[in-house]
Amino acid sequence: MALDRLFNLGFDLFSGISILLLVSIGLAVIFGMRGIINLAHGEFIMLGAFATLSGVRSGLNVWLAMLVAAVAVGIFGLVLERLLIRRLYGRLFDTMLATWGVSLILVQVVDNHYGSVTEGIRVPVGSFTVGEFSMSAYNLILMGAAAALTVGTFTVMRKTRYGLLARAATQSPTMAQELGVNTSLINMWTFGLGSALAGAAGALLAPLVGVIPTMGHTYVARSFMTVIVGGPSFIAGTVSASGLLGLVENVATNRFTPVIGQAMLLIAAIVILRFMPQGLTGRRDTR
Amino acid sequence: MMAQLARLAGTGAQSGRGSLGTDISAAVLALVAMAILGNLVEEFTAFEWSLWAIQAILALSLVLIWGYGGIFSFGQAAIYGIGGYTYGFWAINFADNTGETLTAVVAAVVVGAAFAALLGYFMFYGNVTNVYVAIITLATSLVLFAFVNSTSGSEYRIGDAPFGGYNGMTRIPRLTWRLPGGASHELTRVQFFVVCVAAGLLIAVGIRMLSRRPFGRVAVAMQHNELRTELSGYNVRSHKLALFTIGGGIAAFAGALFSAWGRFISPPVFSLTPAALVVIWVLVGSRSSVAGAFIGVLIVEGLSSWAGGADGNNEPIVLGAILVFIVLFLPGGVIANAAKVWAMTGSQALNRWSKPPTPPEAALRSQPKPGSSVFDWMTEANGVRSNTPIATRNVTKRFGGITAVDNVTIDFPPTGVSCLIGPNGAGKSTLFGLLSGQYSVTDGSVLLEEQNLTKWPAFQRARQGIGVKLQVASIFKELSVRENLWLACFALPHNRATADDRAEQLLEWLELGDHAQNPAGTLSHGQQQWLEIGMVVATKPCVVLLDEPTAGMTREETRRTGELVAQLGERASVIVVEHDMEFVRQLSAPVTVLHRGRLFTQGSFDELSRDERILDIYLGRE
Repeated sequence: MALDRLFNLGFDLFSGISILLLVSIGLAVIFGMRGIINLAHGEFIMLGAFATLSGVRSGLNVWLAMLVAAVAVGIFGLVLERLLIRRLYGRLFDTMLATWGVSLILVQVVDNHYGSVTEGIRVPVGSFTVGEFSMSAYNLILMGAAAALTVGTFTVMRKTRYGLLARAATQSPTMAQELGVNTSLINMWTFGLGSALAGAAGALLAPLVGVIPTMGHTYVARSFMTVIVGGPSFIAGTVSASGLLGLVENVATNRFTPVIGQAMLLIAAIVILRFMPQGLTGRRDTR
Repeated sequence: MMAQLARLAGTGAQSGRGSLGTDISAAVLALVAMAILGNLVEEFTAFEWSLWAIQAILALSLVLIWGYGGIFSFGQAAIYGIGGYTYGFWAINFADNTGETLTAVVAAVVVGAAFAALLGYFMFYGNVTNVYVAIITLATSLVLFAFVNSTSGSEYRIGDAPFGGYNGMTRIPRLTWRLPGGASHELTRVQFFVVCVAAGLLIAVGIRMLSRRPFGRVAVAMQHNELRTELSGYNVRSHKLALFTIGGGIAAFAGALFSAWGRFISPPVFSLTPAALVVIWVLVGSRSSVAGAFIGVLIVEGLSSWAGGADGNNEPIVLGAILVFIVLFLPGGVIANAAKVWAMTGSQALNRWSKPPTPPEAALRSQPKPGSSVFDWMTEANGVRSNTPIATRNVTKRFGGITAVDNVTIDFPPTGVSCLIGPNGAGKSTLFGLLSGQYSVTDGSVLLEEQNLTKWPAFQRARQGIGVKLQVASIFKELSVRENLWLACFALPHNRATADDRAEQLLEWLELGDHAQNPAGTLSHGQQQWLEIGMVVATKPCVVLLDEPTAGMTREETRRTGELVAQLGERASVIVVEHDMEFVRQLSAPVTVLHRGRLFTQGSFDELSRDERILDIYLGRE
């Protein structure tokens, strides 16, 4: 195989993995830290994309619009947490059902407002060629952004005061409270951070895919599978699961169709969970 | 006479309210009423109603697996879709030749159940938690949606029937039957309506019947406390799989009827809106009552049809709002909340596990037959497996980097009490977990009378005679005390009458007869511990593992526990983990000390209490 072909395949593969990582990292924060199953996660991504679209339409610079979108979705997450999620901590199924309700509402509200037509966003980035193959430079930005957001999240969790308190509140909420930590506030920021990451993912994906109200459905399943397969150490887990599942999806997509790729990702995830129910980073033999 | 009364009282408590007879008469009445109504109204109205009956069947499939088995699935609508497509393929290909479509219905049920079984195998045998089941079923629906949407090409076809991509599959034959050699009859719209209602009622009665059978009771037990169900000797995974498979068959059946109803099926059945609808019907009705399925569909669909048809753009918004509203304000559904109101006025008919009226005290307690006691059937069992000492050979257990149990070889005597002590983190509970099968060993083996149990799952070890009382009492808090004992008794001989008798004997032994009808969660802390010991005894163990049986007990309760343990020790090998040294002294049994996962020393309590090193361990002195 020619070297340029090989490079192209690798480039493709890493683009896919980056996308998987981007759409999963926000969910990983919310699920990993608070055990909240946020079924509206796909819709947070969708909101990020639409916010970027609106920003660009109103004349904002694309990159600035993306940043604003991520922040806006983060704020939306904070509000939702205060209004709804706050009442449901510890009630796993209820959070799942309620966020599902939110997801249905969001899709329809956006559909009513923007319509269901695909809209594109143009980014001022060209392409480059390696040998016979032309590749989009934007994908390089995606990879960089995925890496940066992952490292950033890790740093926030490890190095900041918030991160320390958040990890304490995760491990022992009562103890943290007794030490004077306002766990309710910490929970709010955690949910906000996860939402902002989802928003950022949506913003970054907007130039690549059709921005439509139901676009969240494309990502919600695979992001959940990635996070679950990742297991309890959620950052390391999400990175390794993105790599593994991204590889499976990419190979199946290249060989067959994107739909088969998606199906193979799901099947791979289910098979992995059959033998490693705690995920890749789980204690392998708690049973 | 008294014994019969007691039996009656007993079964009444376990099976909830109502009998098969009442269910059937209610169903027949409903069917007759619907048949008359269906003939009175306009044909089109009956046709519209058929859809509601079909949807109620779909809702019933979720009531079965979620309400009874505690398995929450987003995938029922997707399996409904699979059933619908299968009916379409089969009927389009074969109806012209066979002159009927009933085989297509059968094919749909088989394919739907098989799909559920395959998915269920990976989920339940992988021991993924309930939340993951929800997510995996959701993801599966979305992938199916994407797949069927992408099948518009003409190469996607089975025989004469194309998938049709996002346009869906059209011209599906209606429900048609034919006697061998006779002409074929296509059902009229009113006939079809009656068939749908009859099928729905039949399935509802079937689910109620199942819930009274031991299978259904185990399903309910599993929902409340999976671990204890497994430790009582039930194969939880196969139960879940069976339930999920039956649920899949029912959903696929509804899907087949749906295809026959509209003569059309398209990919949106796999999308999120129908998946949400099924859950909403059941939430609005009641997840634990078959009536809830019908009522939920009537309320939700009735409302949306009254509010101007479901084709309005805002359906998802309304559905989403309903979901949020129910979660916040009406957990338990309309029926449960209505039942609460009715209960105050004296009617409890709808609440399945509600407390039955308390029978007279005399009837509650069975008269002990002369010479029959708890220990007769225990020793009877041990007669078969006499002298069955449990032992470990070099077992090691690592959790990640932590070695909790390190190369332990230990033998326990076939009868009598042994104590296991050691400071926190010494590996005592982990060692118990390795003996009972809750944990798998990293290295080494577990032997029960020369038989190697190392690879056996927990429920099989329970059946083989290893009983565990966990550190935190693991009982079915929502079920009555009698039901708790009954479930544990039923696990081994699988005989209802025997289980009824033994549950009574255990109530007597534990002196819990006065509380037999109360939910176990209302017992005092000490009584809950005793109840769990009783449930362990019920499985006829030859090895009894008790993890801190006296933690948090009063002095009097501790003394009584000591008596129960001593009685058990006469018939079985009882191993007790304890921190209460006074209690250990009272048992006057050989003591084994664990330290940092290793066997430290063994001896009598008096010998060990003179050993300075043990004090060092407990005080953390090196």
